[in-house]
Amino acid sequence: MSKGIIIFAQNNEYVDYAKQACACAGYARKNLSLFDEICLITNTETLKSNETLINEYFDKVIVSDEFQPENIRLFKDTTHITEYASFKNMGRSEVYELSPYDETLVIDSDYFIMNDVLDQVWDSENDVMINCKYRDVSGRHKGNIEYLDNFSIPMYWATVFYFKKSDFAENLFTLISHIKYNYKYYYYLYNCSGNLYRNDFAFSMALHILNGSVAFDVPSLPFDYLNNSFDLDDIYRVNSHNDIIMYCADAERITNHILSRFKNIDVHIMNKKAIARCIDDLLTNGEKV
Amino acid sequence: MAESIKGVSSEKDLERLEKALDFSNTMKTFNLNKNNLKVKTQNLLSYSTAGGSFIVDQSLISFMNFVVSSGKTEITLLDKNDIPVRIEDTEKFLDETSSLYFEVVNDYYNEYQKLRSSRKIEKVLEI
Repeated sequence: MSKGIIIFAQNNEYVDYAKQACACAGYARKNLSLFDEICLITNTETLKSNETLINEYFDKVIVSDEFQPENIRLFKDTTHITEYASFKNMGRSEVYELSPYDETLVIDSDYFIMNDVLDQVWDSENDVMINCKYRDVSGRHKGNIEYLDNFSIPMYWATVFYFKKSDFAENLFTLISHIKYNYKYYYYLYNCSGNLYRNDFAFSMALHILNGSVAFDVPSLPFDYLNNSFDLDDIYRVNSHNDIIMYCADAERITNHILSRFKNIDVHIMNKKAIARCIDDLLTNGEKV
Repeated sequence: MAESIKGVSSEKDLERLEKALDFSNTMKTFNLNKNNLKVKTQNLLSYSTAGGSFIVDQSLISFMNFVVSSGKTEITLLDKNDIPVRIEDTEKFLDETSSLYFEVVNDYYNEYQKLRSSRKIEKVLEI
C-alpha cells in the first residue's frame, strides 16, 4: 500500500502559498517517517514562480489547472492589518482522483507537524479520518466544536484528513464535488454563515449526507483536537523543527498578546503573514528531499 | 466606632495593587501555557495498532493489566472510534501503552514543574 502526504498550494496576490507549502512539507518530512512521498498539487503559474524550491521539498508535483471560480476572503495579520484577496481553495475535492497513493494524508500548507502522532494514520481500519474537535491556542474560542451555524451541523476541519482508496472515500469526494458546484443551494440548506466557499463546510455537509443525514460520528485522526492558532496570533520565534513560540491574542483584549510555547505538538497557524515573516527559519528547520 | 474609609490610596496600596495586577498577568500566561501543555499531553497519549487508535489512560492500562494477568494473550478491544480491533499480543500492547503513558506524563510533569517554579515567563519559555 503506497502512502503519501499531499499539500495544496496556489499562490494569490497576498500569500506565497508555494513557499509556505515547502516549509510545511519540510516539517512533515522531519517529524514523520512512515510515509513514502510528499506530493504538491499546484497550478502552472505557482509552480513556475518557485520551481527550484518546490523540487527541493517535494518528491512529486502534480499540476492541475482546473478553473477556479473567484472566492474572495478576508486575510488578517493580527488585529493591525486586514486585506481582501482571492482564495483558490476549490481543488480539494479533486484530491481523490489526483492522489497517486493508496493511503493519503492531506494537510493544509499552514499546518506544521511537530511530532510523530500522524504516523499512526497509516494502515488504519478507517476509510476516512477527519476531526471536528479543535482547540484555540489562545483560548478565545471556548467551545471545542464549531458549527456551520448555530442551528446547523458540526463542522469538520478539512485542515488535515486521511483517506484510503475505498468506496466510502470515493463517494465522499463525489459529494464534495457536487456540493462545490451547487454551493449556493447547500449553503442555504445547511444554514451556513459567511459568504466564503469553505472546504470545511463542503466536507461537513458531504459527511452528513453520506451518513444518512442523521447525527453521525466520523472517525477522528489519532489525536482528538486540532491545535488551531487563529489569524490574530503571531509567531514570536521559530526555535527548531518541533518548537515554535507564538504570540497568542489575549482572549479579553485581542490587541494584547500572551507568549506561549509549542514544543512537540502540531500547530495550525492561520496567520499567513506571520508564516511569511518567519519563512526562512521555517524552511531551514524543515527537511528537504 | 467604625474605621473611616481612606479617600486616597497610599503609595504602598498602589504598589500592592500594581503587584497584584502584575501577578494576574503572570497567571494569565501561566494558565494559557498550562492549557497548551495539557492539550499537547492529550494529543500525545494516542497509540495506534492493528488499524485502530486508542487513547492511553489509566483505565486502559488497568484493564490491559487485568487481561494480561488473567492469561489472555489475544483480545478484541473497542478503539477510540468504537471500532472493534483484534489485539494479538496483549503483553506487547500493555508494555507499549504503559511506556507511552509514563513517558508523556513524565514530560508533562517536568514541563509543568518548570512552568510553576518560575514567575518569569522569559525563563520558562527560554526566550
